[in-house]
Amino acid sequence: MAGGYAGKFLRVDLSKGSWDDFTIADDVLRQYIGGSCLAAKLFLERYPIEADPLSPENPLMIMTGPMVGSGFPGTSRFSVCAKSPQTGIWAESACGGTFGPELKRAGYDGIVIEGRSEKPVVLSIIDSKIALSDASSLWGKDIYEATDELKAADRSIKALVIGPAGENLARIAAIGNDKGHFSGRAGLGAVMGSKNLKAVLVKGNAGKAPKADDDAFKTAMKAAMQEIKESALAEGLHMMGSDANMDLGMVTGDVPVKNWTSGGEFDLANSLSGPTMREKYLTKAHACTNCPIACKRVVKVEDGPYTAEEGPGPEYETCAVFGTMLMNPDLTAVIKANELCNRYGMDTISCGSAVALAMELFEKGTVTKEQLDGLDLSWGRMDSVLELVKKMAYRQGFGDILADGAVHAARRIGGDAIDAVVHVKGLEAPMHDPRGFHGMGLAYMMSNRGACHLQHFVLATEQGMASWPQLFDMKDDYQGTTSEGKAALVYNSENYGILANSLAICHYVAYSIKPETLRDAFNAVTGFGFTFTDLLSTGMRDWTLKRGFNNLLGISKKDDILPKRIMTALDTGGAAGSVPDVDLLLKEYYELRGLDERGFPKAEILAVLGLDDLKARLYQ
Amino acid sequence: MPIKAMTQEWMDAYKAAIQADPDYRNIAKDWEGSVALVVNPDPSKNVPEPIYLFMDYWHGDVGEFVVCDKAKAESARFVMTGDYARWKQVAFKELDATKALLQGKLKMKGDLPYVVRNIKTVNKVIDILGKVDTLWPDDHK
Ligand code: SF4
Repeated sequence: MAGGYAGKFLRVDLSKGSWDDFTIADDVLRQYIGGSCLAAKLFLERYPIEADPLSPENPLMIMTGPMVGSGFPGTSRFSVCAKSPQTGIWAESACGGTFGPELKRAGYDGIVIEGRSEKPVVLSIIDSKIALSDASSLWGKDIYEATDELKAADRSIKALVIGPAGENLARIAAIGNDKGHFSGRAGLGAVMGSKNLKAVLVKGNAGKAPKADDDAFKTAMKAAMQEIKESALAEGLHMMGSDANMDLGMVTGDVPVKNWTSGGEFDLANSLSGPTMREKYLTKAHACTNCPIACKRVVKVEDGPYTAEEGPGPEYETCAVFGTMLMNPDLTAVIKANELCNRYGMDTISCGSAVALAMELFEKGTVTKEQLDGLDLSWGRMDSVLELVKKMAYRQGFGDILADGAVHAARRIGGDAIDAVVHVKGLEAPMHDPRGFHGMGLAYMMSNRGACHLQHFVLATEQGMASWPQLFDMKDDYQGTTSEGKAALVYNSENYGILANSLAICHYVAYSIKPETLRDAFNAVTGFGFTFTDLLSTGMRDWTLKRGFNNLLGISKKDDILPKRIMTALDTGGAAGSVPDVDLLLKEYYELRGLDERGFPKAEILAVLGLDDLKARLYQ
Repeated sequence: MPIKAMTQEWMDAYKAAIQADPDYRNIAKDWEGSVALVVNPDPSKNVPEPIYLFMDYWHGDVGEFVVCDKAKAESARFVMTGDYARWKQVAFKELDATKALLQGKLKMKGDLPYVVRNIKTVNKVIDILGKVDTLWPDDHK
């Protein structure tokens, strides 16, 4: 058996209340590695992709990778995958925290959950004993309450839990791991809710999966720790969290302002930034299992209208979406909004983006105070925002319209509301403005779960956090507001970066260490003996497989677009006057990726990558 | 007439350029503290010894700007170190200083959150650096 793998997967049928183990052959693991790549392969092979995402036929997959549980920095991750109820296409949402390594310790590489339970249940895998137990008393409880209750008897249990948003099938619902880590994007909490699955608990006793070469692993591990120690990026993340980007990003034009209509708000950025959080509200830095960086924030707000007990603090994305996007300079209100989203189980990016849409429509008069049950949704009114967030989780009043995300909301509202939404393929964009970084615009267009900054390493390479000329041809410094040369950068950064979600390693760790170190650690764990070329080919297979999945669902070139708002230049800020050259980017990218004029992978590319089944389905 | 880089005359010209910049005082109004640049030697580029430069910035004013010794450089609030070729790339705007820092091409000792918070000041002084008419060591005939 290949090293690093636990050697089996758990399949649970909630409709029948039964479960069994299954295995995957080594040659398949070698091609698809694990995580979201393996999940896509399994989905295409075994499940009907045309199924309604909220039906029992849509499987929910919780997948780790071979390096998870190895002790290598940043390998605490797992990917939750399914067809998205928000976008109707491929969905994956990676999460750090504690669940992944514990699942491996329990002897499983992943869990595939099928069907739907009649009543709310908890799935537990505790000390080799698997059980489905009644969760009626937990249904309705928020993620913090339910997690505390589920772990009350044994704090070493790791929990994946949904909140009211998932139970109410909000299409932006998230899944929380031990209160501080979230599979946020694309509505996978609603898939879990649709299965009446309140939580998955795991506690392992199977020990660590054996590695192929312990000595080589120790050497790679030592190198990684040294590289992280010397990395200014890692130091910045430890000191300021991901919100270190706020001040820097406002200068470069990365940070969206006022629902993507403005820029250059430096004082606003300063009030919401990582240094400000550190000075005023940080109580400690926190880490996922086995991570020396510890970028996670633990915060406490003692005074003012938005007091918060000590708990998980907001990431950059949350500070932008509930801060600059809403013209809110109050970081304590962002911390509160983050806590509410965590408790209710909602993706902060989608939630905040839907609120930003409502604020803009309120300003225009399209949405009225009456529709909002008396809430004044003027820019910056965070008291109203916090009320609205609650309404979204419980699908009350106007919250019901926003609960499925900005795109569904705009379609229900009608008129030109959709023009105020920045999304690709139905997923609201994360908080990185493609007008400031054209490569990110291409990455949004081509990401397989919709607009996304985590299906690739473009954020790192285009913004200069990392430079890997040994891996592929790249310059020392890319100007953000140019489209020339970006297609190749995006293509390569995808092929390398998409592996993060099959190896299940944190992006920040991968940015902070050399590719050689990651390759050597991967080989030491698995014994696969991959070269850089092998790794990049695996990334190509991963991307192409998911693209094919989406093609089968109707995705084509017409969907590879940036929204009208992004194609409108700003007057102010670091990105002023700039819009991506979409035609150039797509033309060059399509050639590199081997996509035909419909946006389908060409038959010869599918053949080279060994995706013959997919080829047969796309070209039947 | 270009001035030889990293000499006292060049430091004086750089200081004068900062003082003459119409926006600098406002942008740098919150900045407190000295910055030292350490240029690693590179004999192949006519930089046989390390060079230490000390610059004092204070709320939009500029104080001491000197070529100094190692001890003085290390007393600065922020010490940035890099190879000569990297510094030249930064001056020519071929390499953004923040990116160079993140990629490990420059190293910094000092309060990183403070630098992040005041990134506009950092960008401004680098911008002005590029405007000083400079004769670089490896351009000498
Ligand atoms: S860098 Fe942050 S998100 Fe990544 S593994 Fe470490 S603590 Fe978790």
